[in-house]
Amino acid sequence: MTPGRTLLQVTVLSFALLSGAAFGAGVTLPDFERVELANGTVLLVSENREVPLVAVTAILRGGALVDPEGRSGLASLLASLLEKGAGGRNAAQFAEAIDASGGLLSSRADLESITISGSFLARDADLMVELLADMLLRPDLEQTEFDKLRERSINFIRAAKDTNLNALLPIYGQAFLFGAHPYGNPVSGSESSLAAIRHADVRDYYEQQLGGDRLVVAVTGDFDAAAMVAKLTAAFGDWQPAAAPLSDVPRASPQSGRRVLLIDKPGATQTYFWLGNVGVARNYEKRAALDIANTVFGGRYTSMLNTELRMKSGLTYGAQSQLSRASRPGSLAIVSYTPTETTFEAIDKALGVLDRLRGAGVDQKALASARNYILGQFPTTLETAAQLGRQLAALAAFGLDVGYINGYGQALMATDEATVAAVIQAVYPSPDDLVFVLLGDAEAIRERAGEYGPLIEMSITEPRFRAPPADNDE
Amino acid sequence: MGGPGTTITIMSLFSELRRRNVFKVLLVYLIAGWLIVKLLHHLHPLFGLPHWIEKLVGLILLIGLPLALYFAWIYEITPVGLKKAVDVTQTQSIVYKTGQKLNAALAVVSVLLLAALIVGRLFPEPPALLDLGPKMVAPAMPGVPPGIRSVTLDNGLEIIVWPDHDIPNVALYYFVRAGARNEYPGITGLSHFFEHMMFNGTEDLEPGEFDRIMEAAGGQNNAYTSNDVTVYQDWFPRSALEVVFELESERLQNLAFDPEAVESERGVIISERRTTVDNNNISRLLEQMRATAYIAHPYQFPIIGWPSDIESWTVDDLERYYRTYYAPNNITMVVAGDVTPAEILDLAEDYLEDLEAQDPPAAVRTVEPEQQGERRVVIETDARTPMLHIAFHAGRAADPETLAMNLLLSILVDGDSSRLHRRLVEEEQLAISVGGFQFEGFDPGLVYFYATLPAGGDLGLLEQRIFDELARVAAEGVSTDELAKARNMMLADFWRSMATINGKAAGLGDAAVFRGGYEALFDLPADIEALSADELKAVAASVFRRSNATIGLLHAPAAEDEE
Repeated sequence: MTPGRTLLQVTVLSFALLSGAAFGAGVTLPDFERVELANGTVLLVSENREVPLVAVTAILRGGALVDPEGRSGLASLLASLLEKGAGGRNAAQFAEAIDASGGLLSSRADLESITISGSFLARDADLMVELLADMLLRPDLEQTEFDKLRERSINFIRAAKDTNLNALLPIYGQAFLFGAHPYGNPVSGSESSLAAIRHADVRDYYEQQLGGDRLVVAVTGDFDAAAMVAKLTAAFGDWQPAAAPLSDVPRASPQSGRRVLLIDKPGATQTYFWLGNVGVARNYEKRAALDIANTVFGGRYTSMLNTELRMKSGLTYGAQSQLSRASRPGSLAIVSYTPTETTFEAIDKALGVLDRLRGAGVDQKALASARNYILGQFPTTLETAAQLGRQLAALAAFGLDVGYINGYGQALMATDEATVAAVIQAVYPSPDDLVFVLLGDAEAIRERAGEYGPLIEMSITEPRFRAPPADNDE
Repeated sequence: MGGPGTTITIMSLFSELRRRNVFKVLLVYLIAGWLIVKLLHHLHPLFGLPHWIEKLVGLILLIGLPLALYFAWIYEITPVGLKKAVDVTQTQSIVYKTGQKLNAALAVVSVLLLAALIVGRLFPEPPALLDLGPKMVAPAMPGVPPGIRSVTLDNGLEIIVWPDHDIPNVALYYFVRAGARNEYPGITGLSHFFEHMMFNGTEDLEPGEFDRIMEAAGGQNNAYTSNDVTVYQDWFPRSALEVVFELESERLQNLAFDPEAVESERGVIISERRTTVDNNNISRLLEQMRATAYIAHPYQFPIIGWPSDIESWTVDDLERYYRTYYAPNNITMVVAGDVTPAEILDLAEDYLEDLEAQDPPAAVRTVEPEQQGERRVVIETDARTPMLHIAFHAGRAADPETLAMNLLLSILVDGDSSRLHRRLVEEEQLAISVGGFQFEGFDPGLVYFYATLPAGGDLGLLEQRIFDELARVAAEGVSTDELAKARNMMLADFWRSMATINGKAAGLGDAAVFRGGYEALFDLPADIEALSADELKAVAASVFRRSNATIGLLHAPAAEDEE
């Protein structure tokens, strides 16, 4: 085939696709059963027999948000401790019961929840429900297991500081941006906050913050739905509501002007940077338009940021724009890394791209492309029973209805340039209103970093993520 | 059968057919039709016509045949125009003259036919219309899902299709048999660099255009390079099927090596190396471990390449690599998702059939010699959490012991109940995490254990404990319960991977490339049932020997106590 023809065809086809006609209007959730028990527990059940597996997602509202002052990481420690013995099985026996069946069952804390995820062979569905109920209702919460976990968790942070700077950057970023607001607390804790947590704190958290009214359980896969609802009702119907009410979080105020945090890792050959401000909440009403804007700006390989910093200039392996969404507005940040010597070239280019987004907006072609991209990938996020369970549980736990998924395609199709332009102005900060977080070899970058705004410096070996002035709560 | 009257009727029908030139029309129509179809088939690649045009024309000709005969019978061309034959008196009839014109037409098309046949002899034929060329082959083995089809095109490209219509999406993978094992000093990392260049423009597509077109069509893509293969992955809605084939065809045939793009991409790789190796202690140690465990075989080279080679690759190196390894006979393609085998075959014929087969790449001759004794590598660096890695030479992906080793590894390191996790992390707290895996490739790989210690942890004691555990399993084997557990874990993992089109594509390709055929994917449940505890013990004894071990330590320069 001649190249000229190829190109022509590609162009023609792309044009046809850009018109949007080739796409359906997103994804519709399959049928599922929703049962609300008397104690407030919500059960969501959906059969899917494609593979002989059964999956569970259990979400308990609360999470790191209700960690007490100075004890960040408490919910995270409790979540891990739930796996360490329950319902008459000690830690080793509990692990053996999961592994022997080929199952997976693990628990972790997020900002606003503790989430337990499981996947078992269909023949072990009863075991899965039994182990989950034991973890939640009858955990051992033993002192020795707590001591081991706390020590390991502290060392995991040290190991990440040696080796996984990408993962730490948003933690420093959010701590610096949100300051004393709970969204600035590190979910997994810091070396110092973990060291301050006592065994009694974990028990206290369990007594106060866990209970039937906080729980959503979604079970999906190869089983009979009616029988599964009966099993789950028997397992969780008697769990008492949590003792403490779930408190509300205020909105954080956005950053105006600039502030710079420099985290020193002597000898680092790259600088990792996070340029952020306060973004939007999970239920932001113009979510579709924002997703389109963010896809164009920094949400895919050919985004404006990645084009400028990677494809055109080779300054980095990747540049992105990350939105963290919760009940209240979370962070919105440009994230990338680059060799130390090109630190400022890369940051300045990123700021230039942000300026361009706010100035020029997103044209019709880019809008259509981003919409197609989101719609094209959307079905793969709901392909398996396990994915469906995660989505159903998250919707129910965070007060969203099925329209969040079912109406998303239509919302994308209905989004026009003007809406995207308005969302960009409302959500993306001016380059003059940003916190700058740079992690790298301070000696090489300190001076020029200070030119962006008032600079605070800390060492990566400091046992906390929060910068010194705002540090009295850890 | 009929009597004499019937015979007369048939005879008169026959002569009437002759008189009305129906036979001549039939003959001219058939020959002309055949010529049109042939011509179209030869022209279609020249003008890039889609395959369905041929089918459409074929269909029109087929429908046209009875119509032409009907017209020849019913109508007659008279000096005053077209009239129904029954309305034309014998004197007015010019069927004879029409017949003469038809004779002339017949002569012309016959000459053309002859010419076409001669040309056809001289130049090999493309597959005839409506014949789908090499037919897609259904799986012959029991236990293999019946919908899967495979085919090898004439140019050697192997294609495997697994239709799955759960979601309107497709996962397309292709495996190029080129990786670190095909490199040598001076071009280490070239396979990986080449992978990057596959996204950097073709003769007709600017750098970045490939991704812009694919993303605008709703698709996403990625690629990875391993010791043995470079794998390209596209995930897209089925509406983008033809676009994706077009794009893949373009970069497989007309890749450009623009010097500016080469330089820019070199910078990307330097950044990638700094992030994934230089600033990552696990990768730093792994790189040194491979370079120490192998002294002869190219598995010693880092996939990303040594820094001096990254700085010095040339455009010539890239072009040679393209010709040698990116040949259809060196590639296996897998398509899983909302497709039919027939449409994939059509697209493959339209877009991939023109790729030219090349001589097979030179075989990797070097066989790693038997290790003569324990090897050790130490990195002193500013690390608070020390690391211990231990590697043993083991088998190839295709060796039967490799599955036994995977079950054994499951017992040793998978899950909180595994032997090493329970003892080292939970009971003795010598490590904060421990894991293990096997490098499975064309050539004998490594069984690899890695552990991170708490700050101030005791590297010597941890090493001793791990060797104790490995010696114990080599001497005493595993229990029935442990074997059952490992089987269940592997079976459940198998089903988890079968839940997505992505898992299906990856699994089929992996089996096709490394284990002798895609069908091998479905042997797994039976194969793991068939393995005995004795076989696990035997593989442990043959691999977990001190003289077969490479040990890597990473720690801070001076003894430090963080606590």
